[in-house]
Amino acid sequence: MAQVRLQNLGKTYGALSVVRGVDLSIDDGEFVVLLGPSGCGKSTTLRMIAGLETINEGELTINGTRMNDVDPKDRGVAMVFQNYALYPHKTVFDNMAMALKLSHVARPEIQRRVAEVAEMLGLTPYLERKPAALSGGQRQRVAIGRAIVRTPEVFLFDEPLSNLDAKLRVKMRMELQQLHRRLGVTSIYVTHDQVEAMTMADRIVIMDAGEVAQVGTPRDVYDRPANFFVAGFIGSPAMNFLTLRRAGEGWQAEGAALCLPALPFDTGKLDRLTLGIRPEHIEVGDQTTGPWCFDAKVELAELLGADALLNLGVDGVEMLARVNGTAHPERGDSLRVKLPPDLLHAFDPATGGALPRKA
Amino acid sequence: MLKRRPRPILYVLVALSALISFFPIIWLILTSVKTQAGVYAWPPQYWPDPFTAKNYVAIFTKSPELLRSILNSFIVGTGVTVVVLVLGGMAGYALSRLRLRFAGPTMILILAVSMFPPVSLLPAIFQNFLQLGLLNTYAGLIIAHSGLFLPIAVWMLSSYFGTLPIELEEAARMDGMGYLRIFLTVILPLSWPGFVATGLIVFIFSWNEFPLSLVLMTQSAMRTAPVAISLYPGEYSFPWETISTATVLAIIPILAVTAIFQKQIVGGLTAGIGK
Ligand SMILES: Nc1ncnc2c1ncn2[C@@H]1O[C@H](COP(=O)(O)OP(=O)(O)O)[C@@H](O)[C@H]1O
Ligand SMILES: [Mg+2]
Repeated sequence: MAQVRLQNLGKTYGALSVVRGVDLSIDDGEFVVLLGPSGCGKSTTLRMIAGLETINEGELTINGTRMNDVDPKDRGVAMVFQNYALYPHKTVFDNMAMALKLSHVARPEIQRRVAEVAEMLGLTPYLERKPAALSGGQRQRVAIGRAIVRTPEVFLFDEPLSNLDAKLRVKMRMELQQLHRRLGVTSIYVTHDQVEAMTMADRIVIMDAGEVAQVGTPRDVYDRPANFFVAGFIGSPAMNFLTLRRAGEGWQAEGAALCLPALPFDTGKLDRLTLGIRPEHIEVGDQTTGPWCFDAKVELAELLGADALLNLGVDGVEMLARVNGTAHPERGDSLRVKLPPDLLHAFDPATGGALPRKA
Repeated sequence: MLKRRPRPILYVLVALSALISFFPIIWLILTSVKTQAGVYAWPPQYWPDPFTAKNYVAIFTKSPELLRSILNSFIVGTGVTVVVLVLGGMAGYALSRLRLRFAGPTMILILAVSMFPPVSLLPAIFQNFLQLGLLNTYAGLIIAHSGLFLPIAVWMLSSYFGTLPIELEEAARMDGMGYLRIFLTVILPLSWPGFVATGLIVFIFSWNEFPLSLVLMTQSAMRTAPVAISLYPGEYSFPWETISTATVLAIIPILAVTAIFQKQIVGGLTAGIGK
């Protein structure tokens, strides 16, 4: 049972800094997901925790013990790799037993533990097979089993599901969640897939260009993105952004006719800001009038199935709205939209930071 | 889409080029079963008439020095292969995986060194070997050939190692293996096709190498096959049938091994070339 702490963790390759100032405190049994676009330093951070990359800066502690210079095998961590990384020339049993053999666990004990984990993962019939004779999902189960057998203090996952097809990915995701509930081991999980992150994480760490952009529960990062980057990264399709200029009491969209009343944000002395609204939060077809309602024209309508996406022109501003797919408006329709003020987000265009709501 | 139809012209060209490349070997084999009269017949005899196995019998009974030279080549070739695979394997692994700071320049340097013609190394090798008493010893020629062929082995093996996923080694490190154990229990078992291909090429290069073998092995009992065969012609006669027979015996081991491992050789030679 383990607490993991990253203090000001950093990694440089020569002059190139790929991870900077990562501060993170992970509680015992917590499932933390590192989320971010490709190349943002998620794997590097995870690999520093694993001991596969040296830590150039800052400190890593597990249960209060400094781990910066401890050998990977002595950190009490086990890792599951994206491409499984099973020994192709060894059987499933030997793959799972390797770490125990190397740490001189007695043979009967190895047998017992591997059998138990294999049973848990439905791998018992395949123990004598080589990885080549398994499907992708089974291979990833072996890789997970290999990590479980070691009874580590911390599980590390680096995009473990991204080599699987969509259906299997959903199934394995649920299995991993069940496994976590059952074992309760502190887990750090890297992915670029926000659905995985939202569904699995106790807390999400969103990274951008080597730095932590926000740490929070899935609800936090969706409802209260701390900055422009997180707002644009979380949510699919992405949040609509428009640049506004102060116009008297209210605000006007830059280069368009759209005018909004006073915003419910602490805008201070800013005379420009970036406003954000999620496609799913735009209310369409609302006939009521009010300061937040506007005329709009449907420029494109795409049916996704349950939902439909509408490209709207709202007083010269392009916006994407996500509406119910049954009887949705068609291209060319004119309608009314409401931008609910409670669901708006505002960002300082200079710093990207979210502006606080007025009390 | 390009249509893939068998094209007769292509087959003719392939057959022709095969014939041209194999002609010397076919000629060699045919000569080895001709009588002396047949060899010197005019117009030239294409098909042996009569066939004879006498030359083979003669080699074993009358020219033990030729057999001995084949054995010498075999000993040297095997020794060189072992030395080069052990050293080349370790060097190739280090250069491909340990993220050494000067891995790139080192590889180029190794390649550059291997470009020197062997003859240019001769004076230095000869004088040193003379003082060290390594002339006319297996160890001497094995050392010389190893130096000669190590670069190509390092290049071939490191490019082969490069095709193995790095995560495999990282998983092994997480499992608690050190570099040596990873090399021995993970890398070696997975890269044997690369080792087979490299070993074979080195063996063949050593088997065929002439200038160093000629100068470093001067006693007739220590000569290697190519040297012994080329020096065999007597003062007045040129016994082509015996020479051909010895040559056939000398290339049989290589042909056999190549045939057995041809898949690995092709795989090993093309490993790391794109994907
Ligand atoms: N060995 C290395 N040398 C130089 N740069 C590297 C090395 N490894 C990774 N990087 C760089 O570090 C950045 C972060 O990589 P990574 O942590 O793998 O990203 P992610 O997992 O988030 O996609 C990338 O821009 C990558 O190019
Ligand atoms: Mg990655």
